[in-house]
This record gives sequence, C-alpha cells and structure tokens, in this order.
Amino acid sequence: MSQFLAMGGYGSYVWTSFAAFFIVLLIDTLAPLARRRRNLRELRARLARQENRRRPGTPPSNESNA
Amino acid sequence: MTPGSTPAACAALLRRDLTLAWRRRGDIAMPVLYAVIVTTLFPFAIGPEPALLARIAGGVVFVIVLLAILLSLDHLFRGDIEDGSMELLMLAPQPLALLVAMKILAHWITSSLPLIVVAPVLASMLKLPPEAMPVLVIALLLSTPLLCLLGAVLVALTAGSRRSGMLLALMLLPLCVPVVIFAAGALAAAQEGLPWVAPIAWLGAGLAMALVLAPLACAAALRIAMDT
Amino acid sequence: MANWVPLWLHRLGSPPVFYRFAGAVRPWAFGLALLLGAVALYGGLVVAPADYQQGDAYRIIFIHVPSAWMSLFIYGVMAVAAFIGLVWRIKIAEVVAMESAPVGAAFTLITLVTGSLWGKPMWGTWWTWDARLTSELVLLFIYLGIVGLYHSFEDRRQGARAAAFLVLVGAVNVPIVHFSVNWWNTLHQGSTIRLLGPSHIEASMLWPLLTMMLATKCYYIASLFARVRADLIASEGGKAWVRDIALGQPGNDPA
Repeated sequence: MSQFLAMGGYGSYVWTSFAAFFIVLLIDTLAPLARRRRNLRELRARLARQENRRRPGTPPSNESNA
Repeated sequence: MTPGSTPAACAALLRRDLTLAWRRRGDIAMPVLYAVIVTTLFPFAIGPEPALLARIAGGVVFVIVLLAILLSLDHLFRGDIEDGSMELLMLAPQPLALLVAMKILAHWITSSLPLIVVAPVLASMLKLPPEAMPVLVIALLLSTPLLCLLGAVLVALTAGSRRSGMLLALMLLPLCVPVVIFAAGALAAAQEGLPWVAPIAWLGAGLAMALVLAPLACAAALRIAMDT
Repeated sequence: MANWVPLWLHRLGSPPVFYRFAGAVRPWAFGLALLLGAVALYGGLVVAPADYQQGDAYRIIFIHVPSAWMSLFIYGVMAVAAFIGLVWRIKIAEVVAMESAPVGAAFTLITLVTGSLWGKPMWGTWWTWDARLTSELVLLFIYLGIVGLYHSFEDRRQGARAAAFLVLVGAVNVPIVHFSVNWWNTLHQGSTIRLLGPSHIEASMLWPLLTMMLATKCYYIASLFARVRADLIASEGGKAWVRDIALGQPGNDPA
C-alpha cells in the first residue's frame, strides 16, 4: 500500500495532480447545483412579493426563508 | 433628401473624428506620456547596464506601445455611443463597416502615430542599436494598425456592457500574442544581423487580412452589442 | 422517413422541453462518468505497469491527456453552438455555448496544472514556453474572456450574443497562436522537448486512457446540463413553466 502511494518516488506529483483534477471538477459540479437552487429561491421570493402586492394581507411566508 | 456618396461620407466622418481629436489635444498626448514614463521606469527596475538594456529594448518598446494602445482603445466608440451618434452611423445608408473603418483609421492616426514617432526615442533611451531602428519603425507601422483593428472588434463587443477596462485587456491578450511575437521577432533578428523580412511579411499578411475582415467583424459586433 | 429526427431536434430547442430533457439525462450521464472514471482510474493506477522511462510519473497522463482533449473538444462544441445561436438565434444554442465555457475553462486549468506537475519531474521545470503549453494558456484566457464578457452585460441575451461572437473570433485565433509560437520557438532555438515520453503506447495503458476520455465526455454532458438548467431558471424567470417549477414541490424535482 505504501509502495502504491509512493508511486516510485513521484507520489507527490501524481497525487497532487489527481487531487487538482478532482477538486476542480467537484467545484464545477457543485457550483451549478447551488446556483440553480439559489435562482429558484430568488424566483419564489419574487413571486411571493408579487402575490403580496396584489392581495395585501397574506403574510409573506416564502420571503422569510429566502 | 438623397444620401451623400459613400466616399464623401467616409471623408466627412474622418474629418469630424480628427477635428474632435484635435479639439482635445491633451488626450492625444496621454498615451505618449504613459509610454515615456514606463520606459524610464525600466532602467531603474533592472539596472542601467547598456548590454542588458539593448538585449530587451525591442521587446520592451513593443509591449509598452501595446499597453498604450490598449489604454486608448477604451474610448474608441464610447463618446459616440454616449452622445447617440453611433446610432446615426448605424442607421446611415452607407455600409457600417466602411464608416467603422474610418473611425479606426482616425483613432490610429491620433493614438498610434504619435507613439510611432516617439518609439525610436524610447528605443534609444534603452540603447537599441541604431541599425535596428528602421526595422523597429517598419514593424510598428505594420503592427499598430493591426492591433487597432483587432482591438476595435473587442471594444465593439463590450460597447453595451457596464465594465470593460480589465475585460478588454483579458480579451485582447490572446489576439495580440502573434502580433507581438512577429514584431519583436523581426526586431530580435535585425539586432542579431539575421534576415528579418519573413516576420515583417507575416505581419503584412496579417494586416492585409485584418484590413478586410476586422471592419466587417467590428460592424457585426457593434450591431450585436448595441442590439439593433 | 426519418422525419422524427429534425422534429425532435426542433422540439428540443424549446426551453421547457430542454429543461426536462436535461434533468432526465443529467443523473445518468453523471453516474456513467463516475463509473467509467472509477474503472479508468483502477486501470491506470493499479493495473497498468510503470513506464520503463518515466517510472510511475507517467500515470498523470490518465487525467492530463483526457483533460487536454476535452479543453479542445468543448471549444469545438461551444463554437458550433455559438454559430448556430448567432445565425438562427436559437436561445438554447446560446445558453449551451455560454454554459460550456466554464467547463472548458475548468478542463483547461486541469490540463495546465497537471502538465506543470508532470513537467517538473520529467523536464526539471514547471513551465516551458512550448507551443502546446502556450496555446493551452491562451485558450484559458479566451475561455475566461468569454465568461467575463457574458457576465458584463445587464441583458443576458445580449451578453450571450456578444460572447458567442468572441467564441468565433477565438476559434480563428487559437490555430494562429499555435503556429506563431511554433515559429517563435524555432527562431529562438527553443528546447526541443517531446511532450509525451512513450512514443507507442501499450494496450494496458491505452484502455484506461480511452475509458477516461469517455468518462470526461459524460462528465461534460452532466455538468453542461446542470448549468443550462440553472441558467434557464434565471433567464426564463418570468415564464409560466418556470413559475410552475418554482411553486411546485421543490422536493420532487431532483436538484
């Protein structure tokens, strides 16, 4: 196992580059998912505000968790 | 009312742009002043050794000229977009590409020609050998219009956006890599006594292509960015 | 006869249809990417023997070369989508082009970082002004310029069309840069380094490489579709179908 991790003396280079590969792709995967959720939340808040303006009196329930 | 002929419109636009530039003479001096300041900083930063300065003189002068052009490019179309005359140009019966080419020509005359005039002075401040001086001027005469044409396309693309300063530099960098390589390459070859015609010829070929294509691309980009 | 193909493509151009299609395909593409990636990594790191010249350092090839390939492939996809978007003004094509750029930039960045990490033990330097490296760096700048231009406009549609134009300008530029840097290196008598050590590659090294290429392709599809979905929610915010998604049960809709 330790021999596998050492990669014939080049372990630091090999594992750093694999780490870079996975970190960059992980960020690239998570960013759009978070962005989509944020966009949906903002849209819901906007719709709730519009609804509230049309029928004043309804509590802005969706806005609180936005 | 019949529209004027295309050459007359082009001449009128060129005259208008040059007159506007002449009214604000201080702005023409700014890129030159910038180039002089940056050039004087170089010997302070790397030491006054003539051999070292002569080695880097050509490349440094090209990069400084490039940056000075980049600084001035930002307001190539700005005034016209702000006061609404760009819309008039776009609605004009003459082809927009030709009118834009005239604007780029006026910009080149006002921003790059002064730089070409002072470039030999800057180069001699950096101890460039005098025999390389003609090559420097030829390379600048070919590469500055090329940079203005390429930059104009990118400026046109950012015409409708909010911020453009750094973005323009980021977009221009990939486009100007070949220009810098060939221009500085010609100068380096001339300094070493090697034949320098080939890179100059490549620059000329690039300029010929850009002269035809860049105004068309610039007009298309303006139409996209102004959304008409 | 095969009339359904253009018909289906035509329907796919509609944002709600594409949104649902992307949502259906994305988990499968992502799962396939993970599976193929795991198989390729096992093959590359464990099964494949060490190279006789480079030892174990060559194993970086299994992520470096697929990433380098993807950085160009994504630019190709982006250029085609940008052209379609500019000529026929299809909104989905514009969105696909714009949302490809960050993925392409990510792969270009990986290529540069892993190439540098590979170059240090092999050539003894982190960076050399080789034509391929320089072109890849310029490609990264072009990707960043496209992303920056897209986000500098108030109006998304207008930004997408301006940036799509820049995509086409960049497509002309990259070969010119590659050629000129090549010329420049021969003038300067640059160090003649071959980028790849093994000139002919063995089968046990080849199959993990090809599997990894498939994995990165699947990953690109998954990432692109997730991005397009996020973009459509924002740009189509006023439309009824997005409102239905926003007000429907958010738990039902896999994120």
